[in-house]
Amino acid sequence: MIGRHRRDTWAGALFWAISLLPLWITLAVLAALAVRAWPILDAQPLWQLLSGQTWKPIQGLFGFYPFIAGTVWVTVVAMVLAVPPCMLTAIYLAEYASPAMRLIAKPFIDLLAAIPSVVYGVWGMVAIVPWVEHTLSPALGGWLGQSIPLFAVNNPTGFSVLAGSIVLAVMVAPFIIAVTYEVMHTVPNGLRQASLAVGATRWQTVKYAVLPRAMPGVIAGVVLGSSRALGETMAVLMVVGNVARAPTSIFDPAYPLPALIANNYGEMLSIPLYDAALLAAALILLLIVLVFNIISTLVLRNFIGRSQA
Amino acid sequence: MPKIFNLIRITLLLALLLVTSACGGQTASQEDGALQGTITVSGAWALYPMMTRWAEEFEALHPGVQFDVSAGGAGKGMADALAGAADIGMVSRDVTPEEENKGAYWVAVTKDAVFPMVSTENPALAELQSQGLTRAVFEGIYITGEIKTWGQAVGKPEITAEIHVYTRSDAAGAPETWAKYLGKKQEDLLGIGVFGDPGLLEAVIKDPMGIGYNNLGYAYDNASGKPVTGGIPIPVDTNENGQADPEEVLEAKAEAVEMVATGKYPSPPARALNLVTQGKPKGVVQAFIEWVLSDGQQFVGEAGYVTLTSEQLQASMQKVR
Repeated sequence: MIGRHRRDTWAGALFWAISLLPLWITLAVLAALAVRAWPILDAQPLWQLLSGQTWKPIQGLFGFYPFIAGTVWVTVVAMVLAVPPCMLTAIYLAEYASPAMRLIAKPFIDLLAAIPSVVYGVWGMVAIVPWVEHTLSPALGGWLGQSIPLFAVNNPTGFSVLAGSIVLAVMVAPFIIAVTYEVMHTVPNGLRQASLAVGATRWQTVKYAVLPRAMPGVIAGVVLGSSRALGETMAVLMVVGNVARAPTSIFDPAYPLPALIANNYGEMLSIPLYDAALLAAALILLLIVLVFNIISTLVLRNFIGRSQA
Repeated sequence: MPKIFNLIRITLLLALLLVTSACGGQTASQEDGALQGTITVSGAWALYPMMTRWAEEFEALHPGVQFDVSAGGAGKGMADALAGAADIGMVSRDVTPEEENKGAYWVAVTKDAVFPMVSTENPALAELQSQGLTRAVFEGIYITGEIKTWGQAVGKPEITAEIHVYTRSDAAGAPETWAKYLGKKQEDLLGIGVFGDPGLLEAVIKDPMGIGYNNLGYAYDNASGKPVTGGIPIPVDTNENGQADPEEVLEAKAEAVEMVATGKYPSPPARALNLVTQGKPKGVVQAFIEWVLSDGQQFVGEAGYVTLTSEQLQASMQKVR
């Protein structure tokens, strides 16, 4: 008996240590980045780094603002494009689709998640960039572009925020669909039956009975998709144009933080403070993702708390 | 419990195997005179096609040697070589004093050049081919941005088509060399940043109003010796007489190679391509670089590169030995 008890305690301690590992790893990465980025944080005021518009490392100008703006633009536009169709797909699969349809559709959606990001990048370059240049930007840029700055066309090529966002939207779609679908599946059937029994239509049932119950899960799916979008590197870097200027329109080129790090990883050894600046970029990216996740966890808590009250 | 010990034993064994195989490249055994080991090479797109050819030939000569060659730009080659992630870094630009201070040991192995490229659908193609463009015009396009249309570039205001400027997004030798030709650094080049030599070429071929620049091996198709399908190098008007002279029009790869070799094509954008190691190369890596500088040179012309002068090769050889 003593042996069994001790084994149990040991196992408990072991699992505890292992499950705390992610926390330690996050802290270790943060610490390592902060240490390596310290030279530049020490040499230039933080606010100047974050709000600086010019990126000319050889002249000692390290303005991160265009990259932070690029990251936010690409991610936000991607989520705007991805979330509505993903929601509808998940609702269809969970509530309307026949088992046979589900059997066919699910593997294909999961397959989208398995395609390597560089393949998405190549596809973006040969298909999406020309499509944005020849179809979307003349169509949306015309009268819409002249009246709304968001659609203004100042970039004659298709390498743009929009191209990056379209590629990203397709990349994060399987995650959002999968999580939303699974969560809707966990909503008890009795709820649907009760709603249908009082004469509600299928859509009313989804809208008033299923979705409110599934909402926290839906938010979690969107958060997961956004976190992935924030950090996606290769696919975005290949289509986004990589111009270090903050975009003002979806047709402007952008330069997200991950692309900055990937593009210049090699050059950092030859210019003073450059490696510190790139590691600071990594630190900023990590902090953006962390803050975003913390805020969404809080929102989620609040939501669950309210729905249970 | 015994099961767990077994697991640990297997893990340790695997780890040991991994460690020994990872060290294979450096601790090459040469007891029986045969070279053995794995050489990892990473870096410049400009050198990549040449390096795969050298690797193939060297593997055929020394079956015990294996290569792992990857392209990712000169910057990555330098970083990987200095960090020990690769045995040899391919660097298609000058090595800076800062990098030398960090232990970068380099030898020039062959020569290459960067060529300004447009699409064959370019609206001012006839003028470009008959006049060429001067350095000042390239500066107006790539540095100051004052030249905005193809008409302005060739002096024909009736052509109003906008110039779509493309550059490389990744830190690399070609943009650094192109910028050096224009008296600047890569960070000063205007344009949409596209990743990699093939990416930039693809963007220019697809865009009739685009301008880009490519290394010799990408500007020309190696099999036919002609410019790559859909793209064409713009003659560089070196003597600035307003027309493209016979030696400035490079319609075939052989002509381009000759102009670079004889120095008639300006340098930069022509430049030597370097192999970089962390400290002086040893063992199998040293043997390979020595071979590249001697017998390996016979493949340089075939692969479409420019051979260094014999003095330059000798100087490189002395650095390796």
